[in-house]
Amino acid sequence: MTNVTKSAIGFLPRAGFQHLIELLAEDGRTVIGPTVADGAIVYGEIHHVADLPQGIGAEQAPGHYRLVHHADERFFAYAVGPTSWKRFVFPPTLALGESRRDDHGHVSFGPAPREIPRLAFLGVRACELAALGIEDRVFLGGPYTDEDYRARRANTLIVAVQCAEPAATCFCTSMGTGPGIRSGHDIALIELDEGFIVTAGTPAGSAIVTRLDLAEATAEQLTAGADQLAAARDRIGDPVVTAGLHDRLLAKLESPRWAQIAERCLACTNCTAACPTCFCTSVSQRSDLDGHTATTERRWDSCFTKGFAAVALGGNFRPRVQDRYRQWLTHKFATWIDQFGTSGCVGCGRCITWCPVGIDVREELNVIAPPPQVSAGPAEAAQPHAPRSSVFRVEGVRRETHDTVTLALSTPDGIDWSTARGEFVMVSLPAVGAVPISISRRLPRGLELTIRAVGPTTTVLTGLERGAEVGLSAPLGHGWPVAAAQEHDVVIVGGGMGLAPLRPIVDEILAARSRYGDVHIYYGARTPSDVLYTEELAAWAARDDLEVGVTVDRADATWLGRVGVVTHLFDRARWDGTKALAFVCGPERMIQATVNALAGRGLTPDRIFISMERHMECGVGLCGHCQVGPFFVCKDGPVFSLAQLGDVFGREGI
Amino acid sequence: MIRAATTPHPRLGVVKLASCDGCQLTLLNLEDELLAIAERLDIVEFPEATSHRSNGPYDVVLVEGSVSTPEQLEQIHEVRREAKLLVTIGACATAGGIQALRNFADHDAFRAAVYAHPEYIESLATAQPVADYVKVDAELRGCPINAAQLVELVTALLTGRRPNLPDEAVCAACKRAGRVCVMVAQGIPCLGPVTMTGCGALCPGYSRGCYGCFGPREQANVSSLSRQFISLGRSPQEAGRLFAGFTGYAEPYRDAIVELGGLPGASLAGERAHRAMGAGVNAEGKS
Repeated sequence: MTNVTKSAIGFLPRAGFQHLIELLAEDGRTVIGPTVADGAIVYGEIHHVADLPQGIGAEQAPGHYRLVHHADERFFAYAVGPTSWKRFVFPPTLALGESRRDDHGHVSFGPAPREIPRLAFLGVRACELAALGIEDRVFLGGPYTDEDYRARRANTLIVAVQCAEPAATCFCTSMGTGPGIRSGHDIALIELDEGFIVTAGTPAGSAIVTRLDLAEATAEQLTAGADQLAAARDRIGDPVVTAGLHDRLLAKLESPRWAQIAERCLACTNCTAACPTCFCTSVSQRSDLDGHTATTERRWDSCFTKGFAAVALGGNFRPRVQDRYRQWLTHKFATWIDQFGTSGCVGCGRCITWCPVGIDVREELNVIAPPPQVSAGPAEAAQPHAPRSSVFRVEGVRRETHDTVTLALSTPDGIDWSTARGEFVMVSLPAVGAVPISISRRLPRGLELTIRAVGPTTTVLTGLERGAEVGLSAPLGHGWPVAAAQEHDVVIVGGGMGLAPLRPIVDEILAARSRYGDVHIYYGARTPSDVLYTEELAAWAARDDLEVGVTVDRADATWLGRVGVVTHLFDRARWDGTKALAFVCGPERMIQATVNALAGRGLTPDRIFISMERHMECGVGLCGHCQVGPFFVCKDGPVFSLAQLGDVFGREGI
Repeated sequence: MIRAATTPHPRLGVVKLASCDGCQLTLLNLEDELLAIAERLDIVEFPEATSHRSNGPYDVVLVEGSVSTPEQLEQIHEVRREAKLLVTIGACATAGGIQALRNFADHDAFRAAVYAHPEYIESLATAQPVADYVKVDAELRGCPINAAQLVELVTALLTGRRPNLPDEAVCAACKRAGRVCVMVAQGIPCLGPVTMTGCGALCPGYSRGCYGCFGPREQANVSSLSRQFISLGRSPQEAGRLFAGFTGYAEPYRDAIVELGGLPGASLAGERAHRAMGAGVNAEGKS
């Protein structure tokens, strides 16, 4: 045997495979690859060829997996098992940060100590390379990036092995990801009975390959490799027609099939855990008994859990299992394309095999959205950025109502916040929690947040006193397009706490009042004692260049104003809606009623802007909680025009 | 909430009803944390740890055990009156416990089968979870409870935040831990998909199906899972009995047990009663 030249294709006899494992280890890498444990071929540490599943494969069907023995001596004669590589680049639990809060209310935030292992993945299939490519887009392709993922990914060398033994649950052919290896690998192997055809995909892979004792692959070997790939492809067939699937699926949001699936679906999260691309997470804090030091921990979550789309005061946007299954399937196969320019599915079949009751997505897709048009969106450019909390000091506390306060917060770093874009900030207190709060006023050296005590975290926040500190993220999300309202009339409609995020609009308009047409402000609260910003409302009402209307659902003896729903304030107003832009914020039902009333007065959907409430956890489009159709409410919203939302607006369970 | 040094310590009581004391032991076994907890809370009542008795009022009371006797029924109402926060701990207190399996059968027959002088035994016809009688502010599931969840609850109480007690299936923890599904890979029936997490998916880690110690999770789709047990080769009655463990009396496990044919409890109890009366004991010994 001789070392082959770079242009020739090398062949590694089976007896030389141990050398490859050793070279990867010599490169300082822990080798992770297939090994048999607990009745399955899982990915674990590989020190020796004896750790590999030689002569072992697996029989797979919906809800069914059994190891089987082969007559041959191959190491990689199996289709993907329960483990996916995401576990190693996107760990199931991850300490994100450490925070402290002392008895004087001083807070500090720091990163958690972290060790990024140097790994080699051995036995990566084509579908799995595609899955890693999708995760790259999710975690690194948008405006916010996951730096932990980046570091783990950069520290991993990938040895791919072409699939020759697809399972009955495989459909990579339909999703266009396999079984042939095309890109994303450092080294690619094709396993034959007597050894491996070896090619390098990157310089890092080449550095290993050139140290192997390779023969030149013969024409027969190359043909055998091509033949077994073709056979694998034939065995899989093309079980899912993906042409036009995006539109076909989204046209069936009201299919009766969703409820039928929910009769079988356990909402157990096995599909999302097994999926190599599902990326939803939740964050929680662990603290010492005094709440002085806390660790923030991120863990895999799933859109199938009850709390996933839940918000304060017991609201839940996807209360039924059928809502959650629809969210998962339509995200994976349709709205993922809108978000990331690629389907979220690679056709590995894990969700089919590992569903305890054997729900088969191929069958469900074909029933819900029977075939055939192609859709794709652009991928965003990567801008490494992750929001980190800065420490802000409470400069003033103003009690608005019995359960609501406005905190004036200043930043010690002297940044001018008066022009900061973004609609909300994540406010965090060590050992207590983190919540998204809309900015209710921008100040030259800080901002104001109006917070209502609805849960334990907001209860603590509303109890803070002057001098206390909190952690604030940079302003996040897309806010109100106030500039677009210049030269137009403006209608501002707020309900309850919804007036808080609307207040900066009024501030901005009043700062350049002459640039806007007529301005109408309508505000509804539950009772007189729930009215926010009473003095400011009075000051606004006293101006002759603003129309201000305030109403309450239930009056008391002191109330001399209007009673009834907020839309009654402009039922008989004389303004012409065709010249106006509207900004609406409040409870979901109030928004619905207001939008209908505004549409009735001639406002078109592109000129009605609403702020959507959803469960937000990370604030930057990486945890998955706040998704609505193709949107991440935190990153793409929370302010949307009705035209943007389309038929997503007002749909139940989405 | 950060407590000023002068604030009096919250008074914690531990109360036991019908139970095995295993959950109290979990508290006692918190070797790393118990002293620190005792510095921040006045543990005024803790029968497993001290015979010193102190009545309420309590800021927090942890209740172990189910309501199984008339005396316990009286006791739980008194405890509720004395407690600001009442937290039930363990499968007995939250779901009735293993003793609640008698609720599926004939209580009198059981009593006669077990005791030589059943007339001395004062027990209620059913063993019920505490929440069936009084308002419960929080619960820790499990048989026994999980130590980390107990520390989390105490920490949350002390710091004034929401305890971080997940509402997901055992499967979520099982998959995060990297375990292979025993049902899919080995055909072993597992209650994981319908059971609340909290144990860290202990049993699947030992190639056993989940026994449901933490009780049903929200929206537990028990009927779909039982159909799967049957398609794995179990008879309907066998499938039903899989739910009849420490939390079998909790809905919807209870409904599944009944729908799938019930427990052979009544007949078993009757048979034992027959033996206890002298008819079968010797016969069994000889046969």
